[in-house]
Amino acid sequence: MIQRSQLDLRKFVAPEFICGHGALQLAGRYARNFGMKQVLLVTDPGVRAAGWAEAVGESLTEAGISFTIFDSISVNPRSRQVMSGKDVYLSEECNGVVAVGGGSPMDCAKGIGIAGSNLRDILTFEGVDRVPVPAPPLICIPTTAGSSADVSQFAIITDEERKRKIAIVSKALVPDISLLDPEPLTTMSRQLTVDTGMDTLSHAIEAYVSNASSPMTDVHALEAIRLIHSALPAVTEEPENLNLRFSTLLASLHAGLAFSNASIGAVHALAHSLGGAYDLAHGRCTALLLEHVISANYEAAPDRYDRIGAIIGPVQAERTPPAEGVAAFRKTLGITGPLAAVGVREDAIPALAEQAYTDPCMVTNPRKLTCEDIERIYEYAFRTS
Amino acid sequence: MRSELPDGRDALREKIIGLGETSLHKSYYPELQSRLAELERFRALLDQTYDAIFLIRAETGKLADVNASVRAYLGYSKKELLATSFADLFSPQQKAGFVELIRKKSDLPSECRQTCIASLMSRDEREIPMEITVRSVTFGGEQYVVAIARDITDRIRAERELKIKESALESSTNGILIADLTGAVMYANRSFAAMFGYGEEKAITGRNLEAFFADPTVGEKITGHLLDNHAIVQETIGLRNNGSPFHIQVSGSVVQNDAGQPLCIMLIAMDITGRFLTDQMKRETYAQLGKNIEQFAILGDHIRNPLQVIVGYAEMIDDPCAEKILEQSRRIDEIITELDRGWVESANVRQFLRKHGDDAEPECPPGGLSRTKRDCTDNHKTTGI
Repeated sequence: MIQRSQLDLRKFVAPEFICGHGALQLAGRYARNFGMKQVLLVTDPGVRAAGWAEAVGESLTEAGISFTIFDSISVNPRSRQVMSGKDVYLSEECNGVVAVGGGSPMDCAKGIGIAGSNLRDILTFEGVDRVPVPAPPLICIPTTAGSSADVSQFAIITDEERKRKIAIVSKALVPDISLLDPEPLTTMSRQLTVDTGMDTLSHAIEAYVSNASSPMTDVHALEAIRLIHSALPAVTEEPENLNLRFSTLLASLHAGLAFSNASIGAVHALAHSLGGAYDLAHGRCTALLLEHVISANYEAAPDRYDRIGAIIGPVQAERTPPAEGVAAFRKTLGITGPLAAVGVREDAIPALAEQAYTDPCMVTNPRKLTCEDIERIYEYAFRTS
Repeated sequence: MRSELPDGRDALREKIIGLGETSLHKSYYPELQSRLAELERFRALLDQTYDAIFLIRAETGKLADVNASVRAYLGYSKKELLATSFADLFSPQQKAGFVELIRKKSDLPSECRQTCIASLMSRDEREIPMEITVRSVTFGGEQYVVAIARDITDRIRAERELKIKESALESSTNGILIADLTGAVMYANRSFAAMFGYGEEKAITGRNLEAFFADPTVGEKITGHLLDNHAIVQETIGLRNNGSPFHIQVSGSVVQNDAGQPLCIMLIAMDITGRFLTDQMKRETYAQLGKNIEQFAILGDHIRNPLQVIVGYAEMIDDPCAEKILEQSRRIDEIITELDRGWVESANVRQFLRKHGDDAEPECPPGGLSRTKRDCTDNHKTTGI
């Protein structure tokens, strides 16, 4: 069991953020305040089709700021996409980045920023604190509620050559400002809503049980768990409800503030490995792994897991084994396994485990897992519906 | 108590939770300081250059920035200069031209540069001749014209001096030829071309020295002698373009750089055909004169012998005419004696003329470079020139 003391050194970093209806329209004002004259507007085709990139573009134009749209971004953004964006950034002589979208455009925008300012390949930043020159000003406008890339110090990029995700971790990746507007969330599909919602839940749970958690992060983690547990099922019924959407956005914000400072754990280490190898949606991977990692970790932080179980039990305040509670919650959202059903091959598990073992997220997992432990988690997820 | 993680992951964990040496929130200040220091270094470099550099606002023609050389050349403070139009720094006659130049340059792409010669007017109304290169540039969306002015006062003076030297060479009545160290002609003046029967100087350039001497080996010998001894004076036979020979005196020297290394050779050729023929006539005249004197001496002896007989007979006879005969014989003897005295004087005069007159022979310095005419003639004969 991890020993914690409230006297342990902890740091809490948070970006400036504005939340509420209409926050998106402030993009131009803040871009101007940051001295941006030529903006690289990073988004993806889906967000562009939904009209949110255009709305941000109008705000920039009203503020007298020119912009170039870069939307050649897929789910699980590739290193080549980042470097293409960097080339556009430099060739268009941009001096700021505005990201509109989910985790993929925001992580890609972070990558473009540091690759552009350091003039290096994005894969060379893999690891922790490896960004010597700060990126240009970055404004994030999330259109999903789950990745928390709008407040976190993480950028996850897929190394397509080696079919793996790399984690770039640096306080220099924390955006300069985030504009949290619930309205763009209304165009998310149900599947995207629940996948990203489960990502929020896994962020919050992992931050709460992290061996680097602190009283500051605990507050945000628990609030995130409470909010997402109550709002996510409801928002699937009322996707146009701005209040419910805002609750999921707040949950994501709280989870982001928690995990960006306490970091995360095995769920994300295993999900990065899985997503890199099979190009699966990140939220879906975490959803299918969360309950199995909780079972594996439980003995390392039973009190904390029990507190989580109390929140997400079928009836609030009623003690429920946390892994069971999470599994039940997942199923109520319509997310079903097993991993085999989404194309994962059983013989790939040892390689997936080896990859996950070296992921930086693993160092803050409450329990030090061996490769065999990780293989066992994958095997459970491989079979469990 | 501070919680510890096993193995080397502890350091990584410290960084992830923001406690690493460089786990810092994004700050542009260190980078800003670094860039400012870079700009200051660049500014110092610009201020050290002798060129006067002007940054001109394309729209207004006003100066936006200048380097230290501008202030040094013109004697204005930077503040005064920044309140001035670039065109105002020129004389009223040139001002309108520069207003137009700046207007035109601002319409052209930055790779187009234009160079002109004009005089800047200093505060104390000195005219400083400058070679000015202008090109347009764009900074931060605003268009400027950069003018780099180089003081060409020394260049103009040097060009004028060079022109005088060139004219002196060109207008010399002696033929002047400059060749490289292999004997290839680099330059020949008008007189040389005319002396050797070439229509224009250009027809000589590139030829080898051997083309200008009746003996083709002379050019090579002169070059070799000059490289060993650095100077030569020699009479030889030149060869005109039409193949006719003529007598020339060649003076040569090696042109050296400041380090004493030979750069090229210079020959001065004089047509001495007239003088050579005159000398030849004199020599023949003196020879004939000597012959005549000797003839007179012999003739005197031939007269004295029969006169001696006549005087003998006249002394022996007792005849009133004998005295007359003796008197006439003494007169004849006095005439011959006068002729003998004249012969001695003529011989002395001839000797004097040979020693001090037009035909005087120059003395060769010990081991000297120049030779007497007779030596030259002898050499002439031995070398078959």
